[in-house]
Amino acid sequence: MIQTENKWERITLEGEADRLYTKPRTFAQDVWFRFRHKPTALLGLIINVLLLLFAIIGPYLTPYGYDDQNTKLANIPPVMQVFPAPDGEYLYITKALKIIEVDKNGNLVGQLKKGKDNSKEKITVFPYKDDMTVTLDYTKMPATVRDAEGNRIEQGKTIWNHTYLLGTDHLGRDILSRLMYGTRISLLVAFIAAAVNMVIGIFYGGISGYLGGRTDAVMMRIVDIISTIPLTLYVILIKVTLDDGFLSIVIALSSVYWVDMARVVRGQVLSLKNQEFVMAARTIGSSTLAILTNHLIPNAMGPILVTVTMLIPSAIFMEAFMSFIGIGIAPPLASLGTMCNDATEALRTNPYQLFLPALVICLIMFAFNFVGDGLRDALDPKLKK
Amino acid sequence: MKKYLIKRLGMMLITLFLITLLTFLLMHAVPGGPFNGEKQVSKAVMDALNEKYKLNDPLWKQFIDYVGGLLRFDLGPSFKYQGKTVNDFIENGFPYSAKLGGITLIFVLLASIPMGIVSALKNGKWQDMLLMTLATIGVTIPSFVIATALIYVFSFKLQWTPVYGVDTWKGYILPVIAMGGYSVSFLARLMRSSLLDVMGQDYIRTARAKGISETRVIVKHALRNALIPVVTVLGPTVANLLTGSFVIEKIFAIPGMGGYFVNSVTQRDYTTIMGMTVFYAAFLIAMVFIVDLFYCLIDPRIRYE
Repeated sequence: MIQTENKWERITLEGEADRLYTKPRTFAQDVWFRFRHKPTALLGLIINVLLLLFAIIGPYLTPYGYDDQNTKLANIPPVMQVFPAPDGEYLYITKALKIIEVDKNGNLVGQLKKGKDNSKEKITVFPYKDDMTVTLDYTKMPATVRDAEGNRIEQGKTIWNHTYLLGTDHLGRDILSRLMYGTRISLLVAFIAAAVNMVIGIFYGGISGYLGGRTDAVMMRIVDIISTIPLTLYVILIKVTLDDGFLSIVIALSSVYWVDMARVVRGQVLSLKNQEFVMAARTIGSSTLAILTNHLIPNAMGPILVTVTMLIPSAIFMEAFMSFIGIGIAPPLASLGTMCNDATEALRTNPYQLFLPALVICLIMFAFNFVGDGLRDALDPKLKK
Repeated sequence: MKKYLIKRLGMMLITLFLITLLTFLLMHAVPGGPFNGEKQVSKAVMDALNEKYKLNDPLWKQFIDYVGGLLRFDLGPSFKYQGKTVNDFIENGFPYSAKLGGITLIFVLLASIPMGIVSALKNGKWQDMLLMTLATIGVTIPSFVIATALIYVFSFKLQWTPVYGVDTWKGYILPVIAMGGYSVSFLARLMRSSLLDVMGQDYIRTARAKGISETRVIVKHALRNALIPVVTVLGPTVANLLTGSFVIEKIFAIPGMGGYFVNSVTQRDYTTIMGMTVFYAAFLIAMVFIVDLFYCLIDPRIRYE
């Protein structure tokens, strides 16, 4: 406290330090304040934005489409162990004993035409650039080339693959491009499914909660029955009934996950519907639909948003799961799950083909779970444990 | 109690009937029918097949026949494999799946409950942070990713465990971890928050005030109450393990039911899909019922009226 001679003199604030109040914040600002002060939530949001950019803008930046094949350059990893060619450039030997010409910067030039094979000595001679030859030596695995004196070169040099930054898959398709398209499809499926589930769940739960009585009992009994059986089984059944393709997977996912949403909304509506503002609305003659859409649902938006953010990772998981067991998106379209499935057979020789899409799936799952957790804590600090 | 049991049994039967009906209708809504595969079959053969599998009967009669079969535990023939019945698949696969599932369930309980207890008692310390980070990872990473990563590290690189099959006990290690990973993490988180909640209750303070040792407070008073939410989700956990087995059995080439189911799904073997779904549903409903009965043992307050 600042002491002055005259007790009635008006004290002016000096500096910001003594101020006891801040600018009033709206609810949305409050939520954002709490959200951004949680590191994991903010991290999740940033990862999400990056993934979205990767999925939306990425495909325009790569020269390859998701189904551009070049079988001659199949199964080439992002980091290659290369051997020197006679003219100072590099050679990469694939697992199938083909030789790929690589220039100094790591760009793939092409596959060498196969020359004479001497299976007795376990060597193959490849013609190289008009007048030179390269000798492939596969007496011992891994195979290498021989240098000018005819000795095995034991240790190669590692360089980055500049043509295909993340390598190619078993059909010679660029993994980076496929990851972008795959992420795009996985996210799209998840967003649509989550949105449809949200709408169905809100109306089902809202009507059940608001009307109450026998309607509520019957509707909730149906929900109980549906939730007895794992949703995976339903999704698989519905997917089998429909034909392959993007739409059917969206329908399959959209038709089962509303159950949780319906329960959440019903609970909210039950606790809100006897409050004064709803009675007031009823008194002035609002219709049931208007009360639901204008008064009850906006007030229940917090838990609904949290449930939706949690729905997205489970939809992505489900899509990956189904693609993985072979009933997902039909080729040549790729989702992250189908990419994982395609790569399992060659796990031992080409692990990068599996780990890259798996990594993206994990990133998406982490990001959405973090955002969901953060949103829940931000919307309702009381729930925070 | 008796009345409650009868009511529950009735509900179970109704649920099962509805699921059968739904599955039946879905499988019969497939465009083109079960024999409409890549191979073009002549009309005469198609008619003979339809006749043999009674697909020309009206739908309601087919359904009654099917339910009649179910009541005699006969799930019908497989459409894709000549001379095989759905019962054969289940009889062949169930022992493997049940053994794997049983071991995984025990593993899940033995791992998750102590994890939850430790991290609740060490709330905020490094043990808690470590365990909860692990649990977050376990909840977010799909089981097939865990499974393939485990195979790559432990089977290919370190060669500690076999890649495929469950001929030796070592073969069970990776499938059990991959299949149980999600459930362990989920239950551990649940156990932690429920124990934290219980530890703040008045009766814990009373117990401490009486001068009981801390171990006794936790074991006798806190744990028993904290376990209730965990028991509640045991039913869904079993369901989770069951659907998880589809992928895990495929990856590890375990000749269980999950493998047969996935196979029938990709091959569009409609009767097998239908039969196995009904079997899974019945099994799950029974499991959830058994879990419900366990409540009474743990929580004497719940005596169903």
